[in-house]
Amino acid sequence: MNKTTRAWLTGGIFGGLIALISGGLVGFLAGIIAGMVTGLLVAKHVVQRTPMEGFRRGAQNGLIAGMFVLVGQLLRGLLINPIIDPHHAGLHAVYTAALGGLVLSGLVAGLFGAVNTLPAPRNRAWSVGLIVLLVLAYPWLDQLLELRFMNEIIPVIVFVLMALGLNIVVGYAGLLDLGYAAFFAIGAYTTGLLASPHLGVNMSIWIAIWISAAVAAIFGLILGAPTLPLRGDYLAIVTLGFGEIVPIAVNNLDKLNINILGYNVVKDFDLTGGSKGLNPIGRPWLPFIGEFRADSPIPWYYLILIIMAFSIFFIMRLRDSRIGRAWMAMREDELAASSMGIDIVRTKLMAFSMGATFSGFAGAFYGSYISAIFPSSFAFDVSVMLLCMVILGGMGNITGVIVGGLIIQLADRLFLPQLSQLVQKLFEKSDIAVLKELNFASDFRVLLFGLTLVIMMNIRPEGLLPSADVRAELHSGDDDDAVVATGVKQTV
Amino acid sequence: MATQSARTSAGQRTIPWVWISRIGIVIFFVLFLLVPLIGVVQEMIANPQLLARQLIIGLTNGAYIALIAMGYTLVYGIVEMINFAHGEVYMIGAFLALTLVGIFDLTEKTPYSIRVPMLLLILVITMFCTAMLNVAIERLAYRRLRNASKLAPLISAIGVSFVLQNAGLLWGYLRFPAMHGIMGNNAVAPKSFPSLLPNDNILEGLTAVFGENFKIRLAGKDLIVVIVSVSLLIALYLFIQRTKLGKAMRATAQDRSAAELMGIDVNRTISLAFLLGGAMAGAAGLLVGLYNGTAVFTMGFTAGLRSFTAAVLGGIGNIAGAMLGGLLIGLISALSDQYLSAKWTNAVVFGILVIILVFRPMGLLGEEGGQKA
Repeated sequence: MNKTTRAWLTGGIFGGLIALISGGLVGFLAGIIAGMVTGLLVAKHVVQRTPMEGFRRGAQNGLIAGMFVLVGQLLRGLLINPIIDPHHAGLHAVYTAALGGLVLSGLVAGLFGAVNTLPAPRNRAWSVGLIVLLVLAYPWLDQLLELRFMNEIIPVIVFVLMALGLNIVVGYAGLLDLGYAAFFAIGAYTTGLLASPHLGVNMSIWIAIWISAAVAAIFGLILGAPTLPLRGDYLAIVTLGFGEIVPIAVNNLDKLNINILGYNVVKDFDLTGGSKGLNPIGRPWLPFIGEFRADSPIPWYYLILIIMAFSIFFIMRLRDSRIGRAWMAMREDELAASSMGIDIVRTKLMAFSMGATFSGFAGAFYGSYISAIFPSSFAFDVSVMLLCMVILGGMGNITGVIVGGLIIQLADRLFLPQLSQLVQKLFEKSDIAVLKELNFASDFRVLLFGLTLVIMMNIRPEGLLPSADVRAELHSGDDDDAVVATGVKQTV
Repeated sequence: MATQSARTSAGQRTIPWVWISRIGIVIFFVLFLLVPLIGVVQEMIANPQLLARQLIIGLTNGAYIALIAMGYTLVYGIVEMINFAHGEVYMIGAFLALTLVGIFDLTEKTPYSIRVPMLLLILVITMFCTAMLNVAIERLAYRRLRNASKLAPLISAIGVSFVLQNAGLLWGYLRFPAMHGIMGNNAVAPKSFPSLLPNDNILEGLTAVFGENFKIRLAGKDLIVVIVSVSLLIALYLFIQRTKLGKAMRATAQDRSAAELMGIDVNRTISLAFLLGGAMAGAAGLLVGLYNGTAVFTMGFTAGLRSFTAAVLGGIGNIAGAMLGGLLIGLISALSDQYLSAKWTNAVVFGILVIILVFRPMGLLGEEGGQKA
């Protein structure tokens, strides 16, 4: 397939599906997304000389992608909406959103195309700048289009932050951690204990969040230390074990009894609140803004964006630092790395604890944001979902992990629930009982993760946006075992 | 170990992190396991009848855990991958068995003359289907990754396990009239099997002879589960030790390329390992369903991890080891259910897994230096 065709097809399918599933004024947003994806992909593959030429090229492809949005929006507005809700007319809005989506898609794609024709370091900066602008403007867009996605978007960003942390462990250091949600739990519970009336500490969240990250890092060291002699899949299983023990412990430590030599030192002490969890957890307070509130997500949104920006910067610096290079050397060949003077023990422990820090930070923020935490939010599927995010986007690549994380999380939190609503409404009057009962959000969620993992591993193990190193490594493996490989092939 | 030699050769004084971590683990487990254990032992002595009952439950649990552990150990022995999806194959086996029980309309009232042949037929069908499922999984999700890095097949297997778990969830929505309503009305809720195995106490006569002090409950179904599992295990053991195909499997496990040079079809041998493992998992699914009377789509995860722990405890790749490990894990989990609290059992099993992997990765019956991790 032609690279340009692939660009507008990808953008168009994304935008069209969003428009089709969500309907209403989401068409505008779908147009922007379609345009952004198309513009970025076109700019990446096709070289233009002048900004005007770049704009034209981008806009052309953006308009083609926009047609998908238009079709999706019209299908939704003219065919599906009358079935779901016959009394609701609102055709005017359908046409506006459909055309708006088309125009915006062309415009945004053109902008990205034009920006990319600038000289080398500046085109990248401008592309990033445009994306940042879109992200910063999102709350305004959300209010304008009455989307009310903000409450879902914030946890999405929290999980993307965690995926970035997991990327340190899995992507950079090459240690498969299947119990990463444990550190999320540890961070969230530390904040829960320190910043809630449960133990009567009521610390400010600004301090608690740092303590949580530190506690998570210490647990990263503690849980990482026993796994040092292990490699590969055994390591993965031990981390999985820790990842399971932590939620079980948290769930069961609500009636703690400690007997030492017959003396009952601690009797029925409620440490973690059991399955009821801990609440209310304190919220951040800032001058001019006051205390952050649950019903106004905008301060939360900008806070997590700031945390995200710092984390990305920090992780990038970490990646290029001495320890980051040591991680990558260890990933490629542990023996060679240790012969070159890299202290494997230190390097591994650093990877575990740095990864855990981000998870603890994210857990603290998340606990404060939803103001309550439960053991059920740290189960194995959370760890696997995070792994999915890292693998889908591309191990070891920050941009890839962010993109993969956004796709998985948005699908999980916005797309599937909306699809579920749509299907349920469509089949409300049909006789097929099963279709009415099926809940797409919860009944197909795990399938999505599972299929992502299997398909990515078998077809494109380096992810959607791979880092050059990982790709080279994954494909060089074929040559190493060439003898065995050819042998096996002969007998097929 | 290369790391240690590298550091000592550099002449630095380094902190023995590995030993610090090991000592930490020991202290942790002494505090949190041994101290409560003293109380547990007192409880055990106080009520030997309860202990005996728990040991019987542990034996039956051990029997089915050993069956599932076969799948892990056979596959790991040959392709050196953890087939994470194996627990879910067992779950699918239980659901399939439940569906077949519904289709054949077996209930408590069905006379034994019909019930026994029907159950045997269900056992054969279930074993065949799960075996085929396991072979298909290997074909679709693992075969391409055989020469990739070690983590790729593991991640793919986790993906398969999630897909199968979801399939089990969706299975709950199947409500054909031919299934006689066996799936109940709620798709997600645990499904109940009719109690088809005899539940009378066999040792009733002993109580009559020896008096009230000798009151141990050994139901017919305990015995049936153990007998069926053990005969399957023995059959599998004999197959691997005595037949030509079994010899091929052992040869492939030892050295794949050498086996290939000797004219063994490696692909077919690997498929055979998955086939046998899948069949054992299917049998376990039927047995557990009948024994416990329930099947739920999340049962595969816990059972899979217990069985994997059993396989590792015995020495992964070692058939006899997996049987021993299954027995031990079954006993431990039954005792932990009774004396500690059922909600801690999974944590106990995981704790054991972590300890074995850290201290003795080759397992109880594994050979020294045979660490394959």
